[in-house]
Amino acid sequence: MLRPFYRCVLCLHPRAFRQRFADEMLSIFDHTAGKPAAIRLLADGLISLARQWTLRPEFWHEHELSPSQQPAPDGIPSFYTLDPFRPRAGAVIHGLVLSTLVFCLTCFAIRYSWIHVLHVRIPEVQFESPPSIPVNPSIVASAGPEKPTVPARSENQASVTPSAAPQSAVKVSAQAPPAPTATRDHIALKPGVRSSAAGRSQSRVSSDAQPAVGVAGQPTGQLAQESAMSSDLQSNLLPVPDRLRPQPQAQQPKAQDATREIVSEIVPEIVSTVVADVKLDAAARQRVIQGAAANLTKYYVDPNAAKKMADALRAHEKNGDDDATTDGKAFADLLTRQMMDVSHDKYVTMVYSTVTTPENPPAPTAKEVALYRKEMLESNCTFEKVKILPHNIAYVKFNKFPDASICGTTVASAMASLNHADAIIFDLRDNRGGYSNMVALVATYLFDRPTHLNDFYNRGENSTEQSWTLPPVPGNRLADKPAFVLTSPTTFSAAEGFSYDLKMLKRATLVGETTSGRGHMGMGHRIDDHFTIRVPGIRVVNPISKTNWEGTGVEPDVKVKAADALATAQRLAEMKLRQE
Amino acid sequence: MNGDLMNDDCSSFLPLSPATLHILLSLAADDLHGYAIMQEVARQSEGKYKLGPGTLYDNLQKMIQRKFVQELGRRPGDDDPRRRYYRLTSLGRGVLTAETDRLSEVVREARLRLQVAKPRRA
Repeated sequence: MLRPFYRCVLCLHPRAFRQRFADEMLSIFDHTAGKPAAIRLLADGLISLARQWTLRPEFWHEHELSPSQQPAPDGIPSFYTLDPFRPRAGAVIHGLVLSTLVFCLTCFAIRYSWIHVLHVRIPEVQFESPPSIPVNPSIVASAGPEKPTVPARSENQASVTPSAAPQSAVKVSAQAPPAPTATRDHIALKPGVRSSAAGRSQSRVSSDAQPAVGVAGQPTGQLAQESAMSSDLQSNLLPVPDRLRPQPQAQQPKAQDATREIVSEIVPEIVSTVVADVKLDAAARQRVIQGAAANLTKYYVDPNAAKKMADALRAHEKNGDDDATTDGKAFADLLTRQMMDVSHDKYVTMVYSTVTTPENPPAPTAKEVALYRKEMLESNCTFEKVKILPHNIAYVKFNKFPDASICGTTVASAMASLNHADAIIFDLRDNRGGYSNMVALVATYLFDRPTHLNDFYNRGENSTEQSWTLPPVPGNRLADKPAFVLTSPTTFSAAEGFSYDLKMLKRATLVGETTSGRGHMGMGHRIDDHFTIRVPGIRVVNPISKTNWEGTGVEPDVKVKAADALATAQRLAEMKLRQE
Repeated sequence: MNGDLMNDDCSSFLPLSPATLHILLSLAADDLHGYAIMQEVARQSEGKYKLGPGTLYDNLQKMIQRKFVQELGRRPGDDDPRRRYYRLTSLGRGVLTAETDRLSEVVREARLRLQVAKPRRA
């Protein structure tokens, strides 16, 4: 019974010892009678095992080393070694500890060194953008299933280096449509959050592991976001500032119609899943409340507030405050109010959809990708003005931070045309946010070394992703030039992040009015076929201030009316240039 | 002269551990295999000192390297063909002799002191 164990113990001995003595030890075991004696031998074998490995390193390779000491067959001495060096066990342990320590210190040094050649990661986080086009709530109920999806990063990516851009800065990745296989849990794992529309609102996660200078993006996700902004479908996670809340439908631009056509073409199957409005009973209400509480507890950025909201929802249910509500949309609005009363966070919302929200929504199609790309290129990637003002002051106005994988070339061209300016003004007064990879790309032109911009803390995963600028662009001359950023109350999300980061780094002077105040990112979480809760789950944390601009907005250094910001910035730039 | 040198060489290995001493002692009379060494050690110590195989072969390994003991290999016709026999070398015998002398001195010294310390009758 014990013999196999004893044999195993012998087999684990160092090879030299095993070859020399294992047979004899097994022979002794076989001649030993009685279980107690066998157990003693087994214990003896284990002690021997420990002893041979820890205290007898000089015998480990005794047999293997001996041939090396033989003369060469041809009689000519070639290599002779000194006596075989066999380190003491203590020396081996010391070596192990020392190696581990050096390795850890090296990693630590790389992590915090100025040279970030080995640490260039651009977490591609999608800031949320407010819809530029009004939303009609009545249409939401009939056409907008609120189902988060996560277009996973496709492996079929083709890297293209735009000729107009410095290779080290804008190696752009074009990407095939993402696969639809990611789960909602995956959503929470990543810092990127994006809204979508086209009848299947999505929360989206961008890739976290970027190539050294690449800014691979998911144009499909942004396409969805763009669609959300231009359509009347309500996305599942868009935090819409009050000042940007729905306008009369008549004011919607013509582009909306085009988008809607595309939407219906892309997702006819979703339209066909519309079902009759369902009357809610107590069990359904309870299920929604439990789902809401669970998602809040798991994902909401502030655990205390999450608990308060969850408790409030349960308390209202217990008190019978919800009993009279049987209409889905009314119930969603009621829950939203209940949560907002406690948290005062207008971005925590419950959404009701009359259509069934699929658990695994289809992935954005190649057509959507192409559409987004086309829209971006036709709009010059929202770069509205790029020019040189008097006194050789560069002025660039762009209204979004589009995906760098699509618009990297455009940005590189724009910045290259401003390269010989003596100062630069970024006009973000109408900028409604976008991609963090574009924030990093634009900011790269203002630094001569990779710079830590901010962190993205994901509550659901309890993880943090960092955002850095890219390695310096060869030939860039703007890194040490005075910079100004124009802000307004409609400066939103990623645009606020850009402003805040430069302010904290004291790299730019902010001129204008306090920004919108959106420093959290959220995503939609499906509760059942008709209810989805949008929960801000990712918090931007600036490495210098250790906080962000959520709720407060970014305060400018020079407070003037937004309309006067450009003239003021020009004057400040001229004064600064004269001083230099 | 040579004997003195031999004694000096042997003295450098002293004192011996109990296991080494017993193994050398058990091999002093005859060539033995491992199991027989264990039994001989138990007999010498009247069962008070039991050597496990792990300790035995660990010591044999060291003694072979120091050339106290020579491995003879297997003997045809043995009950168990896996057994190998070991023989005391002249160096091993010298070391055993030196250790025995040392212990004799220790014993003599101990007896002397114990005798002196014994209370005398008035």
